[in-house]
Amino acid sequence: MPSLSTTASKVLEVCNSPRTSANDLNRVISLDPVLTGNVLKLINSAYYSSYNQNSSLARAIIMLGLNTVKNLALSTAVIGAFGKKSSFTTLPMDAFWVHSIGVGVTAKAIATARNVLSTEREEYFVAGMLHDLGKIPLNTCFSENYGQALQLAELEQNSLLNAEQLLVGVDHGVAGRLIGEKWHLGPVIIEAIAHHHAPEQAPDEHRDLVATVALANLYANINKIGSAGDPPPESAFLMRVLEIVGLKWDDLQPLQAIVNSEIDKAQVFLNLTEREMK
Amino acid sequence: MRVRFWGVRGSIPCPGRQTVKYGGNTACIELRFAGSDRLIIIDAGSGIRELGNFMMAHDLPRGPIRTSIYLSHTHWDHIMGFPFFTPIYLPSTILQVFGPVNHEADTLETVVGGQMAYRYFPVREAELAATITYTSLKEGRFDLGDGISLTTRYLNHPLLCLGYRFEYQGKVFCTAFDIEPYKNLFCTDPDDPSYDEAMAAEGEFAALEQNAELERFVSGADLLVYDAQYTLKEYELSRAGWGHTPMEEAIAVAKRNSVRRMALFHHDPMRTDNQLDDLAKIYCQPGGDDNLEIFFAQEGVEIAL
Repeated sequence: MPSLSTTASKVLEVCNSPRTSANDLNRVISLDPVLTGNVLKLINSAYYSSYNQNSSLARAIIMLGLNTVKNLALSTAVIGAFGKKSSFTTLPMDAFWVHSIGVGVTAKAIATARNVLSTEREEYFVAGMLHDLGKIPLNTCFSENYGQALQLAELEQNSLLNAEQLLVGVDHGVAGRLIGEKWHLGPVIIEAIAHHHAPEQAPDEHRDLVATVALANLYANINKIGSAGDPPPESAFLMRVLEIVGLKWDDLQPLQAIVNSEIDKAQVFLNLTEREMK
Repeated sequence: MRVRFWGVRGSIPCPGRQTVKYGGNTACIELRFAGSDRLIIIDAGSGIRELGNFMMAHDLPRGPIRTSIYLSHTHWDHIMGFPFFTPIYLPSTILQVFGPVNHEADTLETVVGGQMAYRYFPVREAELAATITYTSLKEGRFDLGDGISLTTRYLNHPLLCLGYRFEYQGKVFCTAFDIEPYKNLFCTDPDDPSYDEAMAAEGEFAALEQNAELERFVSGADLLVYDAQYTLKEYELSRAGWGHTPMEEAIAVAKRNSVRRMALFHHDPMRTDNQLDDLAKIYCQPGGDDNLEIFFAQEGVEIAL
């Protein structure tokens, strides 16, 4: 799977430098859902074949070492740097990137507001960042059908999942789950990918995180933080998710400044100009 | 178990007048089991050439050679002797090669056998007469049959690398090379612009946790062969991050974990016999409270457990 070319040039810059710090490496990888998935895949398949799945990038970097992670990031980013921008025309890549970052940052901010332990907050970010991973192969491998699905969802203001099932034959939750399982991303992340449109179907032990990611996704869609092709949500669904998380919509308003500032910081770090992001 | 060292150096073979006593060959260890004809070889550094010759003289007359090589990792100094391991040229030999492979897509056979291509060597891997199978290994616990059990653990090295813990008839033989202590790689200075509190905390936690797990892995070994390529001074001066352990730290690990005997291993190619003798006077004196016997591994030395 290609890395997003939005982040590729910064990945190349950071990883080609012999003096790269672990902080910069962690940061640049955490801003790319495919790279994040790839690093977690590597550590979970190499280290923990069936137990103790790891969903922390920082931990992966300590265990695998800077060089291994740098090489992996480079190889993923190089694939992405060759002409993949055109294959992402259906779902605009930069808007998709902003959406992914936005959901990750929002999920972490909600977790912080709900006093989730600080050591567990990165998991909320990673789960939010990766929640739409399944859209990438649908978009790149079946771009014509996927374009029609996006149009259908927009025209009818109806669920993108239904349009994907109708026109591609598989929705991004199912495709994402397959990738998550193949990449050993761990049950928490897989559940967030598979059930962020239906958190009530997630197993009890992961429902809280999945619902938080679902809420962060709704928040990003309503506030137009980037775009991943989902039409505006139905209010009944929003109410259900708020109920699971135990928050009111107004509780989320103070998060806006934090979320905007985090996205701005990421754009500055990646040397992206506002013009490039439009 | 009986353990014999055939190669104790790191990085590159270094024959010469200054390495006669400890030896100049790179990593290779022979492991045999009392009451069984099993032979296990750890690493195929340049020392495996001499071991192969020994097997031709002593094992082959008793029947076809059947053996397994467990590679700690595939850095060059740990596989370079493979093309010169004579038993691979005998049709009667049955050889199993185990080892970890990195995230790149190549198989263990390609990584190890790749050095036997015409551009490097006159015989191709595909032309070898022996029956050779390659199996990539991960962390885990394995029953090797005949009462031998094996536990593997990843070590902190710039390439995926495994430590091996063999247990047989109540005795434990353990290897941990090439390895460097895990460290928090993230910035811990709150005044540094890149400082991130969560990253720093998680890095600290992960390093502590991994070091503790590593110590559990070597705990109680009757013989522990451990990376000790540098002195602490050399390490702190310029070798941090190269994937090796200062000998002072290696000894501290053994002392904390009820190890009975420790072989300091993977000597730096620059280290002369005289220097190793001098270091032995400092670090290998008998009579501590912990009953730990420490020595610098030496080619040809055999130890019974």
